[in-house]
Amino acid sequence: MIDFKNVVMEYPNGTVALKGISLHIEDGEFVFIVGHSGAGKTTLTKLLLCEEKPTSGHLIVGNYDLSRIPNYKIPHYRRELGVVFQDFRLLPNKTVYENVAFAMQIVGTPARKIRRRVPAILNTVNLSDKHNSFPEEISGGEQQRVALARALANNPKVIVADEPTGNIDPEMSLEIMNLLLKINKLGKTVIVVTHEKELVDYYQQRVIMIKDGVIAEDRVGGMYE
Amino acid sequence: MKSFRPFYFLIEALKSLKRNGVMTLASVAVLMSCLIVIGGFSLLVYNIDVNLEQFGEMNKIAVFCQFDASEDEISGLKKTIEQLDNVKEVVRHTKEERLKTFQEEHVDAYGDITSEENPLSDSLEITYKSTDTQKISNLTYELEKLKGEGQIRKISNRYTLSKKIDNFKNTVMMIFIWFLAILLVVSVFIIVNTIKLALVSRKREIGIMRYIGATKWFITLPFIIEGMLIGLVAGTLAFFIIKIVYNTVVVRSFNVATFISIAKFSSIEPVMVIGFLLIGVVTGVVGSFISLVKYLNT
Repeated sequence: MIDFKNVVMEYPNGTVALKGISLHIEDGEFVFIVGHSGAGKTTLTKLLLCEEKPTSGHLIVGNYDLSRIPNYKIPHYRRELGVVFQDFRLLPNKTVYENVAFAMQIVGTPARKIRRRVPAILNTVNLSDKHNSFPEEISGGEQQRVALARALANNPKVIVADEPTGNIDPEMSLEIMNLLLKINKLGKTVIVVTHEKELVDYYQQRVIMIKDGVIAEDRVGGMYE
Repeated sequence: MKSFRPFYFLIEALKSLKRNGVMTLASVAVLMSCLIVIGGFSLLVYNIDVNLEQFGEMNKIAVFCQFDASEDEISGLKKTIEQLDNVKEVVRHTKEERLKTFQEEHVDAYGDITSEENPLSDSLEITYKSTDTQKISNLTYELEKLKGEGQIRKISNRYTLSKKIDNFKNTVMMIFIWFLAILLVVSVFIIVNTIKLALVSRKREIGIMRYIGATKWFITLPFIIEGMLIGLVAGTLAFFIIKIVYNTVVVRSFNVATFISIAKFSSIEPVMVIGFLLIGVVTGVVGSFISLVKYLNT
């Protein structure tokens, strides 16, 4: 469960990025967050990733109150979150397999469990045959699938995808979106931040539109702007 | 779920050191130089101390009688001195006794001198009560008067000498402490830079690790180990350089001068090993911490 209660975010330079957002996302929901650049999407994502703390209001994700989370707990919160970025953010000197395994290593998963789980996740994102490739040897769509596999590695409850299709071609975009839906069907909450109108219209899911720091629309279905 | 993986951190630290080869070398070199200077000064001070001990206790003045002084003259002189102010005790050393002591201490130089050839005279060792400068100079004045009357051949006032040596020692110590402070600051600064470079080169990786949920310690431990390794290597190298230089150059060249006694390296070896490794590791870890502070607080 994700709950925004009158969340205001003001940056130290005086910019008010979010002007009182109230929003509720149930477990297992699939949500698009849309809006033009500068509307507050990025700030919203930053709050979800706990990169910033809200100036006022409450933000609750699962068991964590992000508006007052102590710094030492942030890493533990992030383990319950799978993140996918527009620029993939894979480690270039590690293979596909190692990139996924790395996510499990840093949270202290025993090697035996890693060896069992990584092939299974790579299978979920249809990348079993590329496990020995390095990121630069595979396409953008494939790299994003590796990122998705990594996001799933620690079995998070929530997946946050920040412009996941921004850097890949349209057919690959559909494949990534289909994977995100598949992951959603597995019971995970999926939040996709995007400005790609066609995709949002195509999938007919809940759409939350942010405009000038407030929620302009929150409804199921496409037709965004 | 959690498992302790010391090798992961060690391997990460070693990789990082290799990646920033030049800065690693610079850090090790500066910290090593710093430790060598510390070691050099310590050895100097230690040797001054050892040599100082030879001059005996501080509150003593030795008075040497004339070569041809008779038994009566010597015991008369002893009595006269015992009457003087600030004198606690007067002990007589006969020339035979003194020759024996000399032969025991310096076998090579005086070994073949027979008692007939004894070049020494009787001496009186005066222990005084107060180390007050005024009282000592009064006593010295009285003794100088006796010398002027021809009863005393020579006065050896160890107090003045040991004072001088003490002052010299203090000066050396002051220079030592300042040098030490400056060099340690420089070392820390260089290590801070090395670790910062390592941080920058891994910025992307660290960012990714943070998003995946790595704790601060997981991310920073390799950097702290890195600083520690720099310290350990610098400490070990510095120790062996000091040891070799001391045992070859210093001991050999000063052995010729018999009036200076050179302390054996082995007598301060354990202190130096522990000291070097400790200073090295602490400096390395402090350097790492300083470069990580900003990161640890965000």
